[in-house]
Amino acid sequence: MPAACNRRPPSPLVIKFQNVGKTYRSLLGNSVKAVEEFSLEVGEGEIFGIAGPNGAGKSTLIAMLLGYLRPTTGKLEVGGLPARAYVERHGIGYLSELVAINPKWRADRALVRFATLAGIPEARVSGQVDEVIALLGLHEHREKKIKALSKGNLQRLGLAQALLRQERILILDEPTHGLDPVWTQRFREIVGDLRRPDRTILIASHNLDELQRLADRVAIIDHGRLQRVVSTGFDQQRDSITRYRIVVASGEARLEEVFPGAEAGGKGEYSVIVRSIHELNTSLADLIGRGALVSSVVPERSVLEQQFREAVGEPK
Amino acid sequence: MSRGRLAKYSLWQFRDFVMEKGISIVIIGLLWGYLQLLPFRMSFSPEMTPEVITRLVTLLAGSLVSIAVLIALNGIISTDRKMGYYRFMFSKPVSPVRYYAQLFFVHLVGLLSGILLLATVFFVVAGPFNIWNLMLYTTLVYIALGGIGFFVSAASRHDWVTLAAVWVGARVLRGLYGNGDDWKSKAVELLPPVHKIDTVAGSLIATGTAPVQDVMWLGGYGALFFVVGLIVLQRRSLAG
Repeated sequence: MPAACNRRPPSPLVIKFQNVGKTYRSLLGNSVKAVEEFSLEVGEGEIFGIAGPNGAGKSTLIAMLLGYLRPTTGKLEVGGLPARAYVERHGIGYLSELVAINPKWRADRALVRFATLAGIPEARVSGQVDEVIALLGLHEHREKKIKALSKGNLQRLGLAQALLRQERILILDEPTHGLDPVWTQRFREIVGDLRRPDRTILIASHNLDELQRLADRVAIIDHGRLQRVVSTGFDQQRDSITRYRIVVASGEARLEEVFPGAEAGGKGEYSVIVRSIHELNTSLADLIGRGALVSSVVPERSVLEQQFREAVGEPK
Repeated sequence: MSRGRLAKYSLWQFRDFVMEKGISIVIIGLLWGYLQLLPFRMSFSPEMTPEVITRLVTLLAGSLVSIAVLIALNGIISTDRKMGYYRFMFSKPVSPVRYYAQLFFVHLVGLLSGILLLATVFFVVAGPFNIWNLMLYTTLVYIALGGIGFFVSAASRHDWVTLAAVWVGARVLRGLYGNGDDWKSKAVELLPPVHKIDTVAGSLIATGTAPVQDVMWLGGYGALFFVVGLIVLQRRSLAG
């Protein structure tokens, strides 16, 4: 069983789920448990990921964090307050999975409206709106109506409104959904720049690679339950036995000598299993010493992907 | 703090009302007025006495104001829920209760502006009548009908249909059981007092006065439901 990382963060607590449950009940009396006995603590300054398959309960958790839904059982605190009370007092930078803005509004005016609601002083509204428009590259779309924006541009507008104010908590639900590769990369840079010791960023995503790159810890949830919390940093014990993909430009026969169980994938690519990072490095040194030219070494699955599959199972 | 930013936002709310509802109300009012005025013009042409004009205004306002209130209140809360617009609005430091309470009064101002515009046109085309009395009547109907509409929109996603059903149902049930002495007759007294609107309309528009009991019953009924609507907003989940 791999080591989980659900220990309390060292920094001050910002988000605290305590045995939270959420059950949806229909008028006909049917009920569905979306979240069950969910406990989690997220500290100040963390970038925290939430991963899980469709219907795992990610959106319900986020709706509860924003006070849009109330937990059926348990206790949820944001900044020491009930979630809705926190939002009404301080606000949260939020990008929802589905960007829903009145289609008749103009993009820049929508941002002015949100800035007004966010309480940005009137004198600063225009400057702040211009700033997020520049940051998200929306200049040429600023006068367009929402209904005329493409999915990617709408997603960027959604992110722009979340960044209007320097919020201490940011919640980004599937933030790169609909973004092209250029803007996906740009988004990662923006999130990197947003990291601050007093800011907590929560990212819910299907994209494990993205969470691996951005988040410090990731909660893996399934069937409304927390399966495990994974630290994305390197953990020598946890990450030791794994499969790597090695590509050699020359010396394929030598690779098979050094890694006897290697499986060839063609074009100099091999899949190898090592029991430790030490073994990997020693074997690679041996391989290079024998004259082979190694062009790439990557884990076949990221730490997070491996943990995710262990927690949730292989996709059906 | 929240009140300050909400007060500023009221200008956007008013703008939305004008673009999404106000223009429709004015167009419907002009067409309705024209269709009603035409036969009167032909019957009483060329002169219309003040009594005839007041009767005509009462006739027009009796139906138009109720329809305008229905249009003004349609989806006041439920649209944001259905379409998901609440997600970005209420992630800001804003209380939904205050936001929608303000919106209710912004829509009243918008409705009064629309009715004032229509009344001015009618005043010029048909002849003089007391516009102030019409404004009073509009305010009363807005509070009576709108208060219930506000509650329905807070509680249900299908507010327009529900409100229309409540309104028609109240009329039908009162027609069936309203005049007896049994428990059914007493029970229908608790239904929305739609029948009182007709009697108040004639009196209020013509003289500027109406039976205090009727006005209190209408206004109180709507105000009570408005407050219940605010409580529903406070207690019910936005995403529910």
